[in-house]
Amino acid sequence: MKIDVQQSENQILAILEGELDTAAAADAEVSLQPLLDSKGKDVVIDCTKLEYIASSGLRLLLGILKTAKGVGSRVVLKNVNDVVKDVLELTGFISIFEFE
Amino acid sequence: MKLSAKEWISRVGIVLVAAILVEIISVVQYRRTMAMMEREADIRIRIVLGALTDNISNELRLTEVTMKENLWEVQRGLSNPDSALTCISYLIDDNPHVLGGCLAFVPGYFPGKDGLYEPYGRKEGGRIILEDIASGSHDYTLNPAYISVMESGKPEWSDPYRYGPDSTSLATYSYPIYDSGGRLAAVCGLDLDLSWLGDTLNSHQRFASSFGILLTRDGKLVAGPAESKIPASRVQQAVDIVNGVIDESSVKDITIKTASLKRAPYWKLAQVYSRSEVSAPMRKMRLEHLLMVLLGLGILAFMLNRYARSEKKLREASAQQARLSAELSVARGIQKEMLPKAFPDNIFGLLEPAREVGGDLFDFYRRDGKLFFCIGDVSGKGVPSAMLMSVIHSLFRIVSEKEESPSRILTLLNAQACRDNDTNMFVTFFVGCLDLYTGRFRFSNAGHDKPFILSDSVSVLPARANLPLGVFPDTTFKEQAIQLSPGTSIFLYTDGLSEAKNRQREAFGVSRVKEALSKSLGESLSPEQTVSAFRESAFKFTGDAPQADDLTMLMVRYAPSNLFSEHLELSNKIDEVSRLSAFLKSLCVKLELEGKLGLSIRLAVEEMVVNVISYAYPSPKKGTVTIYADSDYKELRFTIVDKGIPFDPTAVVPASTTLSAEQRPIGGLGILLSRQIMDSVSYCRKADQNVLTLTKSIV
Repeated sequence: MKIDVQQSENQILAILEGELDTAAAADAEVSLQPLLDSKGKDVVIDCTKLEYIASSGLRLLLGILKTAKGVGSRVVLKNVNDVVKDVLELTGFISIFEFE
Repeated sequence: MKLSAKEWISRVGIVLVAAILVEIISVVQYRRTMAMMEREADIRIRIVLGALTDNISNELRLTEVTMKENLWEVQRGLSNPDSALTCISYLIDDNPHVLGGCLAFVPGYFPGKDGLYEPYGRKEGGRIILEDIASGSHDYTLNPAYISVMESGKPEWSDPYRYGPDSTSLATYSYPIYDSGGRLAAVCGLDLDLSWLGDTLNSHQRFASSFGILLTRDGKLVAGPAESKIPASRVQQAVDIVNGVIDESSVKDITIKTASLKRAPYWKLAQVYSRSEVSAPMRKMRLEHLLMVLLGLGILAFMLNRYARSEKKLREASAQQARLSAELSVARGIQKEMLPKAFPDNIFGLLEPAREVGGDLFDFYRRDGKLFFCIGDVSGKGVPSAMLMSVIHSLFRIVSEKEESPSRILTLLNAQACRDNDTNMFVTFFVGCLDLYTGRFRFSNAGHDKPFILSDSVSVLPARANLPLGVFPDTTFKEQAIQLSPGTSIFLYTDGLSEAKNRQREAFGVSRVKEALSKSLGESLSPEQTVSAFRESAFKFTGDAPQADDLTMLMVRYAPSNLFSEHLELSNKIDEVSRLSAFLKSLCVKLELEGKLGLSIRLAVEEMVVNVISYAYPSPKKGTVTIYADSDYKELRFTIVDKGIPFDPTAVVPASTTLSAEQRPIGGLGILLSRQIMDSVSYCRKADQNVLTLTKSIV
């Protein structure tokens, strides 16, 4: 699992690569820490290279979403592949996230 | 029971028609019999009259003969007055019916005897008294008969008359006597007794009101019934009718038959009777007949009513029968519907009910890579046992959906079977659970016939009997398990097979079953062929003997092919998840599960295992979790086993998928995902272990 977080003027971009499974979740939580401090900027998560997501990964995403909403930030998931989209759909997450 | 108007009308109609028919027959019969009786009466009367006239004629003739035969004697007696007196005694002695006789001499015939001379003889007390009866007061020359004979010189009969102290009926035959000189000397008179005539006429009348009368040629009544019997007016009417004074038809209810002597003195005889009296017995008979007919009709009406009622009952009963048999065939349809109809290659079962509905059942189905099957026999036959059987069958389906331990299934079924079991019905039942991936065969037996195991040879499965279902609510059912090697078959049956009897009351028997199974081993028959062959041979054995019990068989063959099996043991550390991921990834490669399918299966298993690692063993307890993966390349089954605290993920209420982001709890998603991805997720606690089974079709 590779996570690259890029800060810019009006958004925070996180690029996820690989499999966000339970084993990777602990590390990912640390890597994604900056996303919890969005300060009103949009949070964009690039999922183009995200191959797999487990519920522990979903928990991270939900944590980010809750924090961002609290400060008026948007959370956008970009280029989500079918496998991940299925999981989001199965859990109903598809209705609470924005997609690009 | 109420009768409809139509039924009443038909019944009354039948009685009426019968009444009319009987009455017509009766009237015709009556008329004919009456005519016959009248004809008969006429004939009888004519015969009587004929006989009477013959009798009278005969008496008259005999008197005349007496006269003629004694004429010579009389002529001899003319010689002197005394001999004339004597010869009278000869005359009257010759004929018993002649009561007396006289010789009325021409006055002055005998010289020396002046005037009238009439010697007279009469029978009195067996003697003959002779005397001269001529006197001043009895001048016979004034007698019409004397005058007439003297004038004509020919014999003649007087009309009947009554004479003497007894008022005896008499008729006198007057005969001219010539002496040797050819001179008419005297008139001989013979008094014929006619008293018998009155008797004969009226002493034997058949009817009280009938009577006979004798009339002279001129129609004068000379003999008739005693006045005490028949009123004189009635007799006079008859006389008038015979004389043609009044018409027969003008007198009410009178019939007269007449007959006349065919010789002098041409007397007439008449028989009088009333038709009504002749027909009286007939009328009485007809009345009796009518009463009998009425009685008969009454009985007929009663019987009709009874018949109609019983017929109605019969009709209703047969309608009910038809309804019942329709219901039974519906019940049979339902029962048949409940039995499995489609059979995979290695399973076959059949049920031949003895009656419309039976008390046997069998069932099987596959869940979590395991084949659950059962066979049962409810005590008794017919509807009640079929109903219990249906209940047990449904319960088996419901219970085994959640429960995979055969003994637990039996315990739950037993609890239901014991509930409200007032009729003391019970069910012998065998439940088996065959792990199609491992060949592990677990079973529990509730008093059912022990199945046969067919491997290299045929043997009886050593299934402990236990009590049947429905006997005691607290029965413990022992569970047993054996390992089946591939190719092994289990043959289950009900006593409908082993106890099928032929005409000689000989049972098919367990030994025959075993024998036939041994034979089938050599022929390597499929379960379907084996079961069908059994059906054939059982029916061949029983022949035309009625099938006494349901015949049920079920055969299961454990024939795994191309099985995949791997397992992985992890300790309860979250780091171990990466090992799991690796294990699952390699699994997907081996089973050629590419893309989404492989990833989602991986997700489902991972979520469940992570759950176990995270929660099964409260920190700092160490434990393990073992993941078994089995597949036949059609289905993939994971069995996740741990020894942690009991936890049933299937009982967890799934996390909501509709809440907003803020409301969503973190967690609970893993179980949700897993259950949504897999075809089935089932849990059981077995020997201090949590056993979670996940299956997914991978075709």
